[in-house]
Amino acid sequence: MIPVNAILGLGLIIFFIGLLGVLFRKNLVIMLMSLELLLNGVNVLFAGFSLHLRSPRGSIFAIFVIIMAVSEAAVGFALVLSYFRRKKTYDADDLNELKG
Amino acid sequence: MITLAIFLFFAVLAVVSAVLVILQKNAMHSVLYLAFTVLAIAGVFFTLQAEYLGAIQILVYGGGIVVLYIFVIIIVNLKEVVPERRKLLPKLFIIVTPALLLAQIALVVVRNRYAVAAGEGPGLDLAALADMLLTTYLVPFELASILLLAVLIGAVIIARKGDMHDPR
Repeated sequence: MIPVNAILGLGLIIFFIGLLGVLFRKNLVIMLMSLELLLNGVNVLFAGFSLHLRSPRGSIFAIFVIIMAVSEAAVGFALVLSYFRRKKTYDADDLNELKG
Repeated sequence: MITLAIFLFFAVLAVVSAVLVILQKNAMHSVLYLAFTVLAIAGVFFTLQAEYLGAIQILVYGGGIVVLYIFVIIIVNLKEVVPERRKLLPKLFIIVTPALLLAQIALVVVRNRYAVAAGEGPGLDLAALADMLLTTYLVPFELASILLLAVLIGAVIIARKGDMHDPR
């Protein structure tokens, strides 16, 4: 038996760590990793409440979140690669102009 | 009781390695800790009786995304360390916002109204999940496949060398 508070705490703490990573780090690749952490925290909440409410809807929604995470990682990496090819850097602070 | 112990083991593992992901200077070390985090979260899914989700987590994250990260880091040769410098106002913002969110998390976790513990009685039915996924949620399921196709084409077009109108 797992208390709901423990699941809630775990999911929110992982989400919080991911948010800290996105806000503090400036390396683009590590920012993308922190986004994965954010989505994983949300997935823990979905799985926990799916069990708590005895409904498979939470698991189904978590599957869609995973699909979305995969898409985001692929497109994000494509953007990082093309950015790196032009600028030779991964610093998020250099992303300050609109023209390529 | 044993379920709770296993849950706590994987939870502590996930949180510690998640902290290590964002603290590493070298991006390759971050990826290894990310793999650790993802597998620990898969263990959490198994203890939450979401076996399908755990298996998908291991296959997609552990087998797909982590390898993608490693390949990209090898391609861009991510050796040099990006200097972590911030101006004052963003620094204030990135300290105050997480602090407020942490307070909110503590408030939610300590005084929520879900007094009942999860995970008693029989587990979730995998057949019910499959049935619901392929009947009630059929349209989002098909839309997800279209999204993946669009991502496949889009990522290739964005990441390829040269101009988009260049036929080579």
